[in-house]
Amino acid sequence: MTETRSMTRGKAGMPVYINRRLMNYYWERLKKNRLSLVGLGFIVFLALVGIFGPLFVQDPQKVDFEIKNMPPLGCSIQESVYDIKTSEFTTTLINGRADHPLGTDSKGRDMLAMLIAGSRISLLVGLLASGMAIFLGTFIGVLSAYLGGWVDNALMRFTDIMMTFPFFLLLVLIVFIFGPSLAIIVLVIGLTGWTGAARLIRSEALSLRTRDFITASKALGASDARVMFNHLIPNVISLIIVMATLSIPGVIMAEAALSFIGLGDPMSTSWGTILNTGQHSLDTAWWVAVEPGIMLFFTVLSFNFFGDGLRDAFDPKASV
Amino acid sequence: MRSYIIRRLIYSVIIAWGILTITFILLRVGPTSPVDRYILNIAARGQDVDSVRQAIEARYGLDKPIIEQYLLYMGNLLQGKWGWSFSASQPVLDLIGSHWIYSFQLILLSTIFAILLGVGLGILSAVKQNTKFDYAASIFSFIGISIPGFWLGLMLILVFAVYLGVFKTYYDTGYPIWSVENLRQLTLPVMALGIGELAGYVRYTRSAMLDNLRKEFVTTARAKGLPERTVIGKHVLRNAVLPLVTIIMFDLGSIVFGGAYLTEIVFGIPGLGQVSFNAIFANDYAVVIAVTLIGTFLVLFINLATDLLYTYLDPRIRYD
Repeated sequence: MTETRSMTRGKAGMPVYINRRLMNYYWERLKKNRLSLVGLGFIVFLALVGIFGPLFVQDPQKVDFEIKNMPPLGCSIQESVYDIKTSEFTTTLINGRADHPLGTDSKGRDMLAMLIAGSRISLLVGLLASGMAIFLGTFIGVLSAYLGGWVDNALMRFTDIMMTFPFFLLLVLIVFIFGPSLAIIVLVIGLTGWTGAARLIRSEALSLRTRDFITASKALGASDARVMFNHLIPNVISLIIVMATLSIPGVIMAEAALSFIGLGDPMSTSWGTILNTGQHSLDTAWWVAVEPGIMLFFTVLSFNFFGDGLRDAFDPKASV
Repeated sequence: MRSYIIRRLIYSVIIAWGILTITFILLRVGPTSPVDRYILNIAARGQDVDSVRQAIEARYGLDKPIIEQYLLYMGNLLQGKWGWSFSASQPVLDLIGSHWIYSFQLILLSTIFAILLGVGLGILSAVKQNTKFDYAASIFSFIGISIPGFWLGLMLILVFAVYLGVFKTYYDTGYPIWSVENLRQLTLPVMALGIGELAGYVRYTRSAMLDNLRKEFVTTARAKGLPERTVIGKHVLRNAVLPLVTIIMFDLGSIVFGGAYLTEIVFGIPGLGQVSFNAIFANDYAVVIAVTLIGTFLVLFINLATDLLYTYLDPRIRYD
């Protein structure tokens, strides 16, 4: 065993290697794509904010009507109050305050604290649900391609049905029926979002199946499970990573959309939930609708940049 | 060819049946009942909740075993009876009949908007590869893909309706469909829905054009002394159309209950998205199933149409 390789799974003589030199090669290729590095940087930043941020800010769910609709620092709004005794309008200028740098919403909740809580939710849902979807998709795709016959037929027909289902309608339906909670949202997106991955992995595995090294390992007496897990899946792993990265934006948007239409977890603060509040105060507090959307936009953009960079880095035909 | 179409139609019916069954089961195993919406009224009138509930359930056949309900529903459906909407108090077909046009106009206009601008920008971008225009178009398309459509809708309302006052903040159903006012008030929704699609088309058109620009027949065409216009328009574009059609048709199928659904909710357009959204929250299962089925048939029809369109666009493709 050379120094450049490390063993990850060492069962009975045939380990799957993580090839350090190859990893370095991919990393060098990825580094040439500046946008993808920017994307990766933002994702890491967001993850750190999501993990450690809540320690430094107040409770995002803390309601304080005294300070409702406070604009962000550096902005000011005019608030007109109608006095019922003198029947006169008094207009006061409200300035942003340093203790609520991004303002507050219509219930006086701190926007910064809510956005930080939201980044945690978005990343969590994005990673878990797309991880689950890709895992399922890989499993079904490889199983279908490798076993063939009626298993392949049944699995692919089921995939057809799932693909034809109006996706967002299904999400809304299931989340409504089983109640809005983070676990349900993750489960539903994970259990319905695997179809594209399954088809792609299947077609990839179908072409791999006829290659000589698979025939050789079968000739040496490898079991079906062994061929699948030690030979087929390692060879589609780069495809899986790229697909997972590029599927995260869709999941994050789906979660935000669900929360936006009122099907978010009521116990947690997500960017979509804030947008829902902001939708109703567009004319009095624009920042409530603007800020979470900007976060959503940059997060999705980052994953798209990073995923594109990864795809080019893994693709030997792409010039970087 | 005819046998191919017949096979596909039969297959479509089977898939639709699968989706119908899944939806039916999901709706009927849910913890809520369509009768729930009457409960408050009944209690307010001082009637005995349980006996009234049983009476209503008996009237609509909701007390029977789920298998029997399913067979009954299927039997009615095969006779063309789509059922009764509890929440709208009218036959499901009437409900859908009076609302589909709002979705249709939105989707039609935004698709036209996205195709015209997207394909146009994509062609220009490919022809002027690596110029400032190309970079600007790439950045624009990345931004467009990453912006959540419903948030874009909110921002358009915020800027153009709340602050500039150019448009109304809500959709006014008082205007007839075929009127200038209606067209005008659709501007923002069409942009909110269309920009995401547009951005995708710019990207796909550009890469499809670039693929073909490198082909030898393009060099030949230029060597023959054909004007650049003809080379691009007749030789490159026609070959780039096939992958584009796939993307556009796929988008058309997924947009109906994806982007359009949310756009309708943001702008308050009473289309099928809004109808199905309300029906899900009211547990109005006949409407939910009907809308799901319509979405499914639409996707199946679009898939079939896409495949048939291929044979027209590329005579080398045959399905015999």
